[in-house]
Amino acid sequence: MEPVKLKVSYAPFVRSKDSIESVMYNVALALFPATAMSVYYFGIPALLVTITAIASSVGFEWLTDKIRKKPDSCLDGSAVVTGLLLALNVPSSLPLWMVVVGSFVAIVVTKHLFGGLGFNIFNPALVARVFLLISFPVAMTSWAVPFAVDMQTAASPLGILKTDGMAALSNFSYMDALLGKTGGSLGETSVLALLFGAAWLFYKRYITISIPLSFIASTLAFTGIFYLIDPTTYASPLFHFLTGGLVLGAFFMATDMVTSPLSLRGQLLFGIGCGLLTAVIRLWGGYPEGVSFAILIMNSLVPLLDKWDLDEIKAKKQKSLTTA
Amino acid sequence: MKTFTIGGIHPPESKLTASKAIEKMPVPSEIVVSMSQHLGKPAKPLVKVGEEVKKGQRIGEADGFISAHVHAGTSGKVKSVKSVPHPGGNYSLSVTITTDGEDAWAEGLNTAPIDWKGLSKESIIERIKDAGIVGMGGAGFPSSVKLSPPPDKTIDTIILNGAECEPFLTADHRVMVESAEEVIKGLEIITSLFQGKAKPFIGIEANKPDAIAAMKKAAKGTGIEIVTLETKYPQGAEKQLINAITGRTIEEGQLPFDKGCLVHNIGTAVAIYDAVSCNRPLVERVLTVSGMEISSARNIRAVIGTRFSDIAAFSGGISEKTNQVITGGPMMGRSQFTLEVPITKTTSGILFINNAGLESSRERTCIRCGKCIDACPQGLEPWLLGNEAQFRRLDEAELYGLANCTECGSCTFVCPSKRELVHWIKYAKALVNNRKQRKTA
Amino acid sequence: MISEAFIPAVTSLGSLALILGIIIYFVSKKFYVAEDPMVTIINGILPGVNCGACAYPSCNQFAEELVRTKDTTMTCPVGGADLAAKLGESLGIEMAEPKPVTCAVICQGNSDNARASAEYVGIQDCWAAMQAFAGPKQCRHSCLGLGSCIAWCDFNAMRIENGLIVIDKDLCTGCGACVPACPTGVLVMQQKKAERIFIACNSHDRGADTKRACDAGCTACQKCVKVCPEEAIVIENFVARIIQEKCTACGKCLEVCPSKVNCIVLEKDMVKSTNAS
Ligand code: SF4
Ligand code: SF4
Repeated sequence: MEPVKLKVSYAPFVRSKDSIESVMYNVALALFPATAMSVYYFGIPALLVTITAIASSVGFEWLTDKIRKKPDSCLDGSAVVTGLLLALNVPSSLPLWMVVVGSFVAIVVTKHLFGGLGFNIFNPALVARVFLLISFPVAMTSWAVPFAVDMQTAASPLGILKTDGMAALSNFSYMDALLGKTGGSLGETSVLALLFGAAWLFYKRYITISIPLSFIASTLAFTGIFYLIDPTTYASPLFHFLTGGLVLGAFFMATDMVTSPLSLRGQLLFGIGCGLLTAVIRLWGGYPEGVSFAILIMNSLVPLLDKWDLDEIKAKKQKSLTTA
Repeated sequence: MKTFTIGGIHPPESKLTASKAIEKMPVPSEIVVSMSQHLGKPAKPLVKVGEEVKKGQRIGEADGFISAHVHAGTSGKVKSVKSVPHPGGNYSLSVTITTDGEDAWAEGLNTAPIDWKGLSKESIIERIKDAGIVGMGGAGFPSSVKLSPPPDKTIDTIILNGAECEPFLTADHRVMVESAEEVIKGLEIITSLFQGKAKPFIGIEANKPDAIAAMKKAAKGTGIEIVTLETKYPQGAEKQLINAITGRTIEEGQLPFDKGCLVHNIGTAVAIYDAVSCNRPLVERVLTVSGMEISSARNIRAVIGTRFSDIAAFSGGISEKTNQVITGGPMMGRSQFTLEVPITKTTSGILFINNAGLESSRERTCIRCGKCIDACPQGLEPWLLGNEAQFRRLDEAELYGLANCTECGSCTFVCPSKRELVHWIKYAKALVNNRKQRKTA
Repeated sequence: MISEAFIPAVTSLGSLALILGIIIYFVSKKFYVAEDPMVTIINGILPGVNCGACAYPSCNQFAEELVRTKDTTMTCPVGGADLAAKLGESLGIEMAEPKPVTCAVICQGNSDNARASAEYVGIQDCWAAMQAFAGPKQCRHSCLGLGSCIAWCDFNAMRIENGLIVIDKDLCTGCGACVPACPTGVLVMQQKKAERIFIACNSHDRGADTKRACDAGCTACQKCVKVCPEEAIVIENFVARIIQEKCTACGKCLEVCPSKVNCIVLEKDMVKSTNAS
């Protein structure tokens, strides 16, 4: 028999079809409805922001790979997701060069300076958003009005609440918020579209329910308590659920695998922490919206939460060693 | 339906040969009988070049307590006694026999079945030992040793492992369908060694309804319980099987008999029956020849020592796209570097595959998705073990339960980053071993 | 107006700095560890690479032990005779001279000489490859060419060339850290000599098998054993070995080796003439 050229490798010889690409592109796919909605509401500027963010993220990824002499990872989808999330986190009226700056901060500073995908401590898109928010506060908080013809801007519902109090929200419509017909960043608007995408990720098992659930539940619980105490100064939990970046943050940013804890206990604590911080910032903080800050703060605690679990494993083992 | 409690995965089952009856493969012109077909020390060869041997003649003597006898698979003349490639991936001392085509049994072997119930416990174990029977599922632990647990351990559960959770493999499945009687009798012999204090079970995965039916029928009135198990990998791993059937957990460093359990393979049970009642040593076994690149995938009964190349030819040849040949299943098997290797007592299957993933699967960094943690049936943190191994932090790895890993490969299977997790774990284990040896040396 | 904002900030931060400063002062006082100044001096002399060749985990521990015991037999193989002299000078004792050793590769199975077995795909490390099979070369006693040992060398003296480990003699300090790192055992430490002859083959297979697998393999033909006037060559386990103590480097064996690529090699080491005295 003609000998065949054999290759030797180690078991297992079958592998699942999941790959970084499949995970990332599925997340991108899940974000598609929300992106489409925002383009529908905010028109061409939204589309431009999205395209710029994705293109510049992928570009920076390619560039850093070249500089770091790493194998190309610009097409593995993680840069696409970062770009897309960044776009969904900024207003459609943001100047495009600022979007590029945001991508730089996300990809180069937050991801690659920390060692690249898998080693970053903070969610790249969120760091970029916060960076932009602090650097360009005006541009970052002039939200375009849906279906605006000229470059008309308005404050987001949360912003109105912060500056003008409950009274100014008398004509707030929950239905509009659900569908996304309010002022806000691209992805903060349509809760429905976001939930639709999140459902897809659950179906594909790329995210677990623990983080989003504990995150949202604790936000609602906390804001709910104050709503019950004084409904005239504090908005209802439903309002908090439907406005701002809570849904986007809880389902797509807090669940980022790299920057969230590994164990169930860690994930629950992480989610609860995010929720409490979000509520605190929203109710009393200087910024109207606290989701990004909350997630970033909790990101920094993830190594600690993980260490807790690992130390327990080690301690158990050490104990068994000493008793043996 | 029962199953183990933590982890587990669902690889594609690919049981191409589930409905193919076992075919007997003719004895090839040359067989290579390895002296290392079991766990423990290799057997000592008893024959010299040029010597005539008969089928079933003992040609290798067990060397030490954990070792097993080796027998000639057919009659013929010894061609050489030297180190040749072994399906375990390395080389081993082996006896090559040029067969004479007569396939003549040595005297006193392969007799008509006797009533084993008259035999004493000692003589049953003696017969099993003489027949060179070892665990035929993969590990190859000498059965006579396994059947004589230390007197301070009470065995209350005996499990026959019919899970066959590895993709592709169907050898045990077919044996259960075609030789249900022998399997039951083998299990009865095993159970009799424990004076009826132990309850016998046979665990079978739900994807083999015909085997379950056949076993249920054969087991009627024997007190043997057939347990249907969920189809999930690694259901057939010793620790997981015990957990699924009894709910007990084998902790790190423990052996099954520490928890009163004893697990045997289906093939082993049949071999035990043959040995005890017909005085037939272990010289042939049933195995699955499968994979996408073999012309006709099938289940065969072949003489131990038959070369892979002969088996490939018998099964219609292999396509030139074959780039890997694997012994055992695709999850825990071994990839071969030559087709000259022979089958051994523990070869449960041979797969001829085109592993397209080899070119594209470049390891990347862990993205902390946690899939490996969910998959690990031993409740470990494979990503962490992989990282510690990669940076050779062996003490850390040991603290995180390195020794507890059963090398089932579930973690590597699921990892989206294509991390070679079990390989890293195996690597760390090798380094730990090496370090220990140097310390004691 | 300005002072209103400044005063609290300056005072609060200032007092914080003051308090922390005081704490640091006391902590450093309290936990001050007196160190023998001699240890610092010795530490300055030692190479400071913490290679472990002296059997101490770090240079610092070696220094502490040396200062404590003044044991003249303690040697730092890396520094060699020069360093021993300097150490002795500082401590006012006569340090034993270390015998300079170097690392030899007893395999010449590079991609030209050794025949390849199946291609290996996986973790690029010799130990990892060994878990999968006997190695990517037909000879299973050979250098596997994946360079596990390189990471163990603190002196950057190792590299893989054409599928075989190569040692830079000028950089190798003879610390021996690489020896246990090789799963097939092709790295051995040998005493330096002006002319050092050794058998560069590790194959314990029978002659015919060795020959089939490699052009530079020792087939245990006995030719060199017979020709050696000093009886310095023995065959052990199907491979020749030169007993270094007996070998006078006459070079007769080099001429008789029948292998396609001579499996006996001659290396010239830099040996300091001062050592001889
Ligand atoms: S190979 Fe080991 S670590 Fe990986 S899943 Fe199996 S038992 Fe767990
Ligand atoms: S499955 Fe792979 S990527 Fe995911 S946590 Fe485990 S090692 Fe990391």
